[in-house]
Amino acid sequence: MKHYLVFFKKELLEYNRTYKLLILLLVFLILGIMNPLTAKLTPDLLAKFMPEGVSITLPEPSSLDSWAQFYKNVTQMGLIVTILVFSGVLSSELSKGTLIILLTKGLPRRVVILAKYMSMLVLWSASILTSFLVTWAYTVYIFPDGKSANLLFSMFCLWLYGALLLAVLLLAATLVKSSYGSLLITGVVVVLLTILNIAPAIQQYNPLSLAAKNMDLVMQNIEPSSLFPAIGVTVLATVVLLFAAVVIFRKKQL
Amino acid sequence: MEVLKEYWVFIVPLIIAELALMVAALTHVLRHSNYRFGSRALWIFIVVFFQIIGPLAYFIFGRGVDE
Repeated sequence: MKHYLVFFKKELLEYNRTYKLLILLLVFLILGIMNPLTAKLTPDLLAKFMPEGVSITLPEPSSLDSWAQFYKNVTQMGLIVTILVFSGVLSSELSKGTLIILLTKGLPRRVVILAKYMSMLVLWSASILTSFLVTWAYTVYIFPDGKSANLLFSMFCLWLYGALLLAVLLLAATLVKSSYGSLLITGVVVVLLTILNIAPAIQQYNPLSLAAKNMDLVMQNIEPSSLFPAIGVTVLATVVLLFAAVVIFRKKQL
Repeated sequence: MEVLKEYWVFIVPLIIAELALMVAALTHVLRHSNYRFGSRALWIFIVVFFQIIGPLAYFIFGRGVDE
């Protein structure tokens, strides 16, 4: 337990020193502010840039537009930046050789993987929560219509999907040496999930649903319980991936 | 100006956050001389003129490995 805590603290310290903490929190903060702002301004902008004589009637923006922006931005820009920032999770320390010193001094390899995952998860949680709270505060302020439902559960789903991707990234980092390799593997997994999503029978169990069905949840088109199978699969997959990462890293020649 | 008056609650924090990102990246560019690629002048240009994306690109791709 002591090993975990020490290594966990070291990871958080490193996030601070390598600007990972700053980048992620600021980017998610900026996204959080932009979501409601974009929702509010889009109709005005469209009206301004329409050619003379053309008139379109757009519905008044509501809190739903703001949350649509949130789920669009966080699943795209947010997740991409998170994965990019964490891409060197093992490779940078292995190539510099700093990790080998710790391992030869008796730090179990299991601890490295699990503590790294925990610290990534903590930073990802803090980031998405920042964005969520900021978007929520502004949305309540400018769109006090109360049309959006299931907000917390919907964010939880997206968070869980992020947690799965981080596990994929970590496993990939134990498999290949370079940080670009692990990025590539993570990208391939996302593409595979997208392809799988075409089959309606699989959709219910596909982790991708957790990042795709958020607006349906907010608009109450689907029941939260309809996502329970996907949540189960995602949690199970995350645990299996982490276990595999520990086993592979233990056998890996450094 | 009309827009600014109406939306300052959004715009002021947004500008502060973007500036913070820029300043952090700029101080890092000026303090270190090792970059994975590109020169100091190039990175200063990218960081200052491309909001959000510039500092991000610097920290993720451009920052030297050697601290």
